Amino acid sequence: MNERLERLGLLPVLGLVYVLLLLPVVIVVLTSFTVSEQPTIPYDGVTLEWYVELLYNSRIYDSIISSVIVGVAASLLAGAIGTATAFGFVRSEIPYKETLATVMLLPIMISPVIIGLALLRFGGTVGMSSGYPVIILTHTVLTFPFVFLIVRSRLLTFDTQLEDASRTLGASNIETVCNVTLPLLAPAVAAGMLLAFVISFGEFTATQFLTGAGSQTVPIYIYNQIGTGLSPEISALATVLVVVMIAAGYLGDRLT
Amino acid sequence: MRTIRLDSVSLPPALRKRVSARTLVGLGVVWLTVFFIVPVLYLLVESLNFGDGALFAYYETALSGVYGETLVRTFLYAFLTTAICLVLGYLSAYYIAFKSKRAILLLSLVLLPLWIAIIIRFFGVRLFFISSGPVQQVFGTDFGFLFSRNGVILGLVCALLPFAVLPIYNSLRSIDDELINASHTLGASQLQTLRTVILPLSYPGVIAATLFVFILAAGSYLAPSFLGSSENLMMANRIADAQGYSVPLASAMSVVFTGGLLILVGLFNHFANVSEVLGDL
Repeated sequence: MNERLERLGLLPVLGLVYVLLLLPVVIVVLTSFTVSEQPTIPYDGVTLEWYVELLYNSRIYDSIISSVIVGVAASLLAGAIGTATAFGFVRSEIPYKETLATVMLLPIMISPVIIGLALLRFGGTVGMSSGYPVIILTHTVLTFPFVFLIVRSRLLTFDTQLEDASRTLGASNIETVCNVTLPLLAPAVAAGMLLAFVISFGEFTATQFLTGAGSQTVPIYIYNQIGTGLSPEISALATVLVVVMIAAGYLGDRLT
Repeated sequence: MRTIRLDSVSLPPALRKRVSARTLVGLGVVWLTVFFIVPVLYLLVESLNFGDGALFAYYETALSGVYGETLVRTFLYAFLTTAICLVLGYLSAYYIAFKSKRAILLLSLVLLPLWIAIIIRFFGVRLFFISSGPVQQVFGTDFGFLFSRNGVILGLVCALLPFAVLPIYNSLRSIDDELINASHTLGASQLQTLRTVILPLSYPGVIAATLFVFILAAGSYLAPSFLGSSENLMMANRIADAQGYSVPLASAMSVVFTGGLLILVGLFNHFANVSEVLGDL
């Protein structure tokens, strides 16, 4: 195949892929600056009016606080359980290791609508069908595989000679874990937890069954607002989230 | 970084005395079992009609009429999405891996949308086609994208493309350049090299991409509810709706849907070794 022909054929596809990936986000950001009452591309002038509206909307505050509470709690829990499991998984010989690895990834493969329904019923049985505890539990289940994957892949390339060196130089085992193992593992754990936070922050499908009066997360709020009519205010709220999520993503990227 | 042999890795002895590595795995397995596997299996119990009437009554409903149609539609949509994502994903991953000089930049632009909540991205697709949106203003029509099958597929492709590009890119990158050079040196044309060297060696990436995109597309709730009409609902929407009036029916649909997905993945596994790809994750 001719090299130039190859380039000419591939470049339009590449362009299309980036349009599909990025344009939906770009239009959300653009429409947040419109002067119109509808979320349109601002042709005739831009305004920050919709961001000011955000500041006066207490329901948005409440939903952001709910999302932060759920996101922080779920990422801490998923971080702790995911790290411990990945550590044990890499550093022990256990039967059916391959199968077990697949089981750890099951929460990614089962549709979140089924996980939401299952935990709604489970929560109902133990007396918590809505509210923070069951939402946090659900988000922990949904994000656990990602922490597990990230920490495991770091552990697989972990140079254990560093731990040996620490012990040879006279450090106790606890000192070795605290001063060598954990600091080397920390960036992967932090990256996993950031990813867990971002996933939790954007989760809708499973969460929709579990929110009560005081625990509407941001995606639930956005979904309900879109159901009642489109306003540029939703674009403004979404833009704020885009900025927060990209910042978190950038931070996570720097860590790994 | 030097490679290490895993069988020589062990936990520090002091820690091993108190908490063994096996205990830690056990902790994770027990946790996942109690809060995930048991609740999901409980749906299986609920779907079986242990009260009055036939044992599998809800399965009959879940497999017939509008629910049966939805099941077929769900897998059809997932299949279409996967096919489009594989073609677009392979071509762009190929370009990024072999033709571009800014691979890292291009790749991070593929990754970027993954950090943004899916609800925001579907909202963006919808804004594109609404009556005051740019497509309507430029062309005077939304080309029948909004609230149709095409809208749902477009949304799913937008959302799931990164899951196709990334694994394929990784498998293309891991091909030894020497093999490609050898193929050229031995007289193969570019096309022959692509067909006999690059394509076969990138199979693991294609398999992983197929698996991710298909499973995620089939389980989508937001794409049909944002970009489809009542004619385009998928299983996730039906399950969520049914939950409001009949939990056993919603449970039966969950079982049917997950079972169907497992059968399809099993069939796929027959042609391509899925577990090998999953083990490499």
